[in-house]
Amino acid sequence: MNNKVTKATALTLILSFVVMYSCDDSFLDVPVTGQLDQSVLSGRLGIESALISAYAQVNGRGNRMASPSNWVWGSIRGGDANKGTDPGDYSDINPIQRFEALPTQGVINDRYTGSYEGVARCNAVMKLLASAGPDVSDALKTSYEAQTRFLRAHYYFELKRHFNNTPYVDETIDVGSGIESVKNDVDLWPKIEADMDFAYQNLPETQPQVGRVNKWAAAAYLAKIYMYQNKFTQAKALYDLMINPDGTGKVVTSNGKTWGLVPYYPNVFKASNDNHEESVWAYQAAANTGSVNNANPEFDLNWPYNTGPDGPGNCCGFFQPSFELANSFRTGADGLPLLDGSYNTGANQLLTDMGLESDDPFTPDAGNLDPRIDHSIGRRGIMYLDWMKFPGKAWIRNQPNGGPYAPKKYVYYESDKGSLQDNSSWTPGYTAINYTIIRYADVLLMAAEAEIEVGDPARAKTYVNAVRTRAMNSVLMDGGSPAANYVISLYPAGDTWAKDDATRNKVRFERKLELSGEGHRFYDLLRWGVVANTVNAYLAYEAPKLPSGALVGATFTTNQDEYLPIPQGQIDLVGSSILTQNPGY
Amino acid sequence: MRNLYRKLSLTMCFLLTIASVMAQERTVSGTVTDETGSTMPGVNILLKGTSSGTVTDGDGNFRISIPNDQAVLVVSFVGYTTSEITVGSRSVINIQLTSDVQTLTELVVTGYSVDKRRELTGSVSTVKAKELTIAPTGNVEQMLQGRVAGVTVITNGQPGTTSQIRVRGFGAFGGNSPLYIVDGVPVDNVNFINPDDIESVTVLKDAAAASIYGARAASGVIIYTTKKGTKGAGKKLTVTYDQMVGVTNPGKGLEMLNPTDFAEWTWNAIKNTEDANALAEGRATNYALALSNFNHPQFGGGLTPVIPDYLRVGSQNGAAIIGPVDLAAQKLLYNIDPRNGPIYNVIAANKAGTDWYDAITRNAPVFRQTLGFSGGGEGYRFYVGLSGQDQKGILLHQSFKRYALRANAEFDVRKNIRVGVNTQFTYRQVLGLTGDAGGIGSADDENDILSAFRMPSIIPVYNVFGGYAGTAAGGFNNPRNPVASRDGAMNDRNFNGLGFGNVYAEYDVIPGLTLRTSIGGNYGNYAYKYYGRWQYENSENNSAFTFGQGSGYNFGWTFTNTANYKKTFDVHNVDVLVGQEALNTGAGWDMSATGLNPFSWDPNFVNLTQTSSRVVNSSQFLGVNFYSLFGRVNYSLKDKYILSAVVRRDGSSRFGANNRFGVFPAVSLAWRISDEAFMDALPFVSDLKIRGGYGAMGNSNNVDPNNQFSLYGGSLGASSYDIGGSNSSAVQGFYRTRIGNPNAKWETSVTKNIGFDGNIFDGRLDFIVDFWEKDTRDLLLAVPITATAGPNAAVPSVNIARMLNRGLDIAVTGKGKITNDLSYEATLNGSFLKNEITELPPGQTYLITVNPGYRGITPIRNQLGGSISGFFGYKVQGIFQTQQEVDAAPAQSGKGIGRFRYEDINGDGTINENDRTALGSPVPKFTGGFNFVLRYKNFDLEAYTYVSLGNKIFNVSKWFTDFYPSFQGAAISARVKDSWSPTNTGATTPIFESASNFSTNTQSNSFYVEDGSYLRMQNLSLGYNFPSATLSKIGLTRVRVYFSTNNLFTITKYSGLDPSVGGAADTSFGIDVGNYPITRSFTGGFNIGF
Repeated sequence: MNNKVTKATALTLILSFVVMYSCDDSFLDVPVTGQLDQSVLSGRLGIESALISAYAQVNGRGNRMASPSNWVWGSIRGGDANKGTDPGDYSDINPIQRFEALPTQGVINDRYTGSYEGVARCNAVMKLLASAGPDVSDALKTSYEAQTRFLRAHYYFELKRHFNNTPYVDETIDVGSGIESVKNDVDLWPKIEADMDFAYQNLPETQPQVGRVNKWAAAAYLAKIYMYQNKFTQAKALYDLMINPDGTGKVVTSNGKTWGLVPYYPNVFKASNDNHEESVWAYQAAANTGSVNNANPEFDLNWPYNTGPDGPGNCCGFFQPSFELANSFRTGADGLPLLDGSYNTGANQLLTDMGLESDDPFTPDAGNLDPRIDHSIGRRGIMYLDWMKFPGKAWIRNQPNGGPYAPKKYVYYESDKGSLQDNSSWTPGYTAINYTIIRYADVLLMAAEAEIEVGDPARAKTYVNAVRTRAMNSVLMDGGSPAANYVISLYPAGDTWAKDDATRNKVRFERKLELSGEGHRFYDLLRWGVVANTVNAYLAYEAPKLPSGALVGATFTTNQDEYLPIPQGQIDLVGSSILTQNPGY
Repeated sequence: MRNLYRKLSLTMCFLLTIASVMAQERTVSGTVTDETGSTMPGVNILLKGTSSGTVTDGDGNFRISIPNDQAVLVVSFVGYTTSEITVGSRSVINIQLTSDVQTLTELVVTGYSVDKRRELTGSVSTVKAKELTIAPTGNVEQMLQGRVAGVTVITNGQPGTTSQIRVRGFGAFGGNSPLYIVDGVPVDNVNFINPDDIESVTVLKDAAAASIYGARAASGVIIYTTKKGTKGAGKKLTVTYDQMVGVTNPGKGLEMLNPTDFAEWTWNAIKNTEDANALAEGRATNYALALSNFNHPQFGGGLTPVIPDYLRVGSQNGAAIIGPVDLAAQKLLYNIDPRNGPIYNVIAANKAGTDWYDAITRNAPVFRQTLGFSGGGEGYRFYVGLSGQDQKGILLHQSFKRYALRANAEFDVRKNIRVGVNTQFTYRQVLGLTGDAGGIGSADDENDILSAFRMPSIIPVYNVFGGYAGTAAGGFNNPRNPVASRDGAMNDRNFNGLGFGNVYAEYDVIPGLTLRTSIGGNYGNYAYKYYGRWQYENSENNSAFTFGQGSGYNFGWTFTNTANYKKTFDVHNVDVLVGQEALNTGAGWDMSATGLNPFSWDPNFVNLTQTSSRVVNSSQFLGVNFYSLFGRVNYSLKDKYILSAVVRRDGSSRFGANNRFGVFPAVSLAWRISDEAFMDALPFVSDLKIRGGYGAMGNSNNVDPNNQFSLYGGSLGASSYDIGGSNSSAVQGFYRTRIGNPNAKWETSVTKNIGFDGNIFDGRLDFIVDFWEKDTRDLLLAVPITATAGPNAAVPSVNIARMLNRGLDIAVTGKGKITNDLSYEATLNGSFLKNEITELPPGQTYLITVNPGYRGITPIRNQLGGSISGFFGYKVQGIFQTQQEVDAAPAQSGKGIGRFRYEDINGDGTINENDRTALGSPVPKFTGGFNFVLRYKNFDLEAYTYVSLGNKIFNVSKWFTDFYPSFQGAAISARVKDSWSPTNTGATTPIFESASNFSTNTQSNSFYVEDGSYLRMQNLSLGYNFPSATLSKIGLTRVRVYFSTNNLFTITKYSGLDPSVGGAADTSFGIDVGNYPITRSFTGGFNIGF
């Protein structure tokens, strides 16, 4: 054995150990791939993209329960529609429509977390703004901040109207700096107002990109926030800035269009007409982007069923308009709605094809109707957009559980297939139709409410009639003649409007008809203080209509069902001394 | 990378240096036989005082290099006396072994070395290589089921599937796969290995055995060593050829209602619903009205259902089709291409009933062959294995292919320097696999197997013109035709090429001191394509033809240097090992893309270029780097008192600089009592050793390497927005994707082990018993953060929880001769296991973040004091029998006659979320295997039985098949014939009705929980070895033929398809939605050696 060689070898070995050892610190620093450090985002482009993500979250990003349409929370709970489909399908919604919510329900948690993701994204922008790089000018900073605070106000507004008070967190607090111990004992309204007021004060009237919120969107939203608190005077002051006395718009959308009503009602909900004059603030949907999360994923279930290529969506039969809503479109010989509620009695009730096969003969109701019914509700025998005459049961998944109707707003046209509609996912029910969160008709009708309370009830009538004028001009034609017996007129000159319940009822009913299925009804009933009576009357009327028993025995409980329970998982996480459960749960 | 080059060049320098050392070295060869003169393959031959050695080939031949004439060969085999033979001047040494009581003399490949089982102090199990080859599995790890005490294997029947392999329980909330070492190189899985190429398998179970692998050892280490050939002058080449041919039978599906019963039970549901509604509304029942309101599209609305002849003609459903159908006229209207206008399907009713399980399955052939070349010469040895396995799955269009080339060689550069290489190239293709995580996730998927039990039997597979039939015919809800679904994947392909191997050098510096250096690499590349049909036959159809393809690669490497010194001083035996290791777990890139609607659907035409709406994704990953130092000292005194101490220090890039390094020590002791004088009083005890070990192992698998960072990211799906109102594009936004924890560190498993190795009655009974405990501390848990911080950000893993596994491993082998011609060998492996979550973050009693939902049912709660993946929900006390009982019961939403009556756990008079309780665990309390071999002359009969006891299964597939309102109109299980009714009051299935509420089908409850215990006859085989005298005349050395049946029968109470129910995650497994069954197969084959 060569001793020298042995020693040399041993030395080499030891040396190689030492070399490796000395290298190991950098060797163990492996960089991150595909994601960024916060510091990378502090420049203009970074803040811009953080703001984009805050906008993006407005539609819940595939979380159907956190969408701005609030089809379950606003529409189904308000009686515009029922869950539809099968009893066992997405059965987590069943207790919601029956007002038997449990704090452990996934859908409730989804509504909650979806909004807080939005809040967190806004807070991230605010934090980045505080340490913005030199390429972010003060003007730019203000614009970013105003857009961000608009969105944050929106997210908190949603939390407020669903859960009442929830923890208020802003950019000054985060993980490790006390976010876990923020209680839900502070009224959110002043915070929401402050953010939205800042947006209103600082946003420009028009924006280079239509998706960005503008000053008047903020004003309309701020007025809505006031209305939710019955602050009619503040609201009216804003409405006066936005609306001319004759009901025409004074101000503009982000893309510079003077506010107004789209002349033909269904064109409000049509992708090819996106960003119209009525679009005060809309979520910009886009199809074929590579992810259907950009194409109204909250509506993916809300289509007629088993249509094949003959109809849109194909799945899954959710969100079926209620009998009660359909009846509401009945008009009297005077062309006005039956405000006494008689639309739910006797022959006033709409004739339906309940129980009939699509091959069985059926003649649609021949009575007087508001034309908006056939732009809001898919019913047997009436053209379903440009597809075909709605065939009734063949497109209804489960009549005994959901009734004979299908939703008709936010439905894509056959001519939009593949372009303004997205086929890249498991169902074709994804569209590029912007979801209009605030539209001018909504603004007008809220302004009408304010006029009744603190202004001129006659002016309220002007506003309501403006909405009705458009409805009158929106007759659905079928082969050169109206598709049904549409009888609608304006509230006549001789009809006196005053600060009384009868007048309020006119505005409220107009709101029901005009905005049905758009996620407003439940919150409107709540802020009008009529929710228990209205909902219970609805349930009593509707339950026997559905032989599956979907609504049998359901009741709205006062001092409980006004708000959803705080998700149990969140309480389990931080403790009931931090998060107080809402009454009744 | 520069570091790597530096290290490599240093190593090369080192190798060149030692290559210059000259020494005399030669080779001896020979044959090992047993007492009867039969050759013995697989016998370990070790050069005493070194770690170098060899194993006899299939022919009993060996060849080994020896440094000098004084070299001593240690020849050992299980069940035989170890012989030590001084070579002297001989070049050919034939050795006869005698069977011996001292079975513990076997050599075992352990961490970085080869040790005698006799001297082991830790808990180590081995598996005979032959046992890995008896069944046609696509992944060798499945064969460990029941073969190793302390290893739990939960798998399914898909060829090429991954499995849940757990060594001594579930140490953490994830990342519990064992570390696999193949020829010294760590790998994530072993699916590339051909079982016929394996020489030995060792499982290191406790810290004493495994902590030499430190940070990655907490879930056990499974070491595979491949065949090497034998050195020796004048050795001839041994060629072996093994072939296996067989077929797997899918067996029977679950019993579903035939068309007549289906219609009748649909009517029963309506009537039962009417009963409930009438009762609630206080009116008389009116079935006629209820049924006419219901008016089923196929069966009509009369008092009795009418079975139609046709389910669909154009837009008409069965009930509306009156009179005969003129098929010739319909043929002209027929259209199943959505691009050509409205679909016009013509579907006849299958009144005989379609067996959908039968329709999606088939008898699946398997074919495996291996050609092995093993040999060596003066100063070299080699093994080359060429193998191919082609196996179909029982599901249509499901297959597994693996072609592997293994080439191992070792050369003596000098008498004290060896260089060697192990390489493998594998082509692997697995098609039609269902389930995520490589197939193990199929258990809880809504896959084609579930679809087969959701499709009503009245629907035929095909329409009258040969297209597909399906639920487009009204009244059957939303299941999709599973045959069409399988056929849609017919042209899917994937291609995986794997290169794996290492190069090593060993240098015996002085007698007893061996330096070894090894660099290993692991390269994989893959490409795949898939098609999505534009469907027309279902009620819910995909509305486009989709095409996707993707590809990527990864490369990982391991660089290991060790020095081993073995020396005997008088009665003292010392064995010291020190080493250093650097590795990268694998870096690479991948990309994938999808597109829609090419002009033609011909697979030869379709590529991405031909599609529209293309979406491209890509990612890169850098892997995780480890840098480690380790050492071990074994000391034995008089071969009676043995001490072993191990320590490893690991650094990993998974952790931040604050806590990057972990140290994992272990000590163990053994005392061979049988060598003590006082044991002479018990002469039937041939050998008895007590072992005890204590130590720590680490685990970092369950933490993302990014855990240390706070990060922002964005994607089209999560954070993009069409800010410009284009209607067709979205701008990327960034949001917080991760909240970092720079202080996270290793999970540490502290193990305690007491074991007994014994041998009694002259070797007829051999046993190994281990009592063990594994206490995992600093368990990494992604502790949920209040939603107010932004729920989309991944929360950081924090070392905060604790889990305890305890168990008892038993391995008993008995063997003997009944007559001279008849002998037996019986082996029993058994493991008792108890898993318990012992600590969670302060104030939390369960893992809030793990709450998977199955159609609204959330069955899982990982609860403090319970086991991992425990089931949780309401306890069903029974079915409400009368209205009086309903009225008297605690408040319960939706309660009613025939519905579930839940137990009021907290006794507050209201059934609500506070009344949920633990409903069982999917973790088996006992698993074991019993192997029995009978040999008569040249025949051998082998039977292997596996048993799993005490595990529960959450059979959520019953939600789909046993309740009418769960997608009403879809198929119904024959079980509902025994559902509750006023005349069938003893039923456990509730009344068949429309209501879907808290008291019917919407809650997690004990109705879904079933006993998952089973016993399975996994293998029964009969073999015949042709007498060698006859064979030698025709130039053959060995011919064996055999016939074998796998999974002959399974004894279980479980009502689902198969009780072997795994899952993709350890925190949520044992849930059966569409589990892929393990079914019976028959194989036969032969092995030839020449």
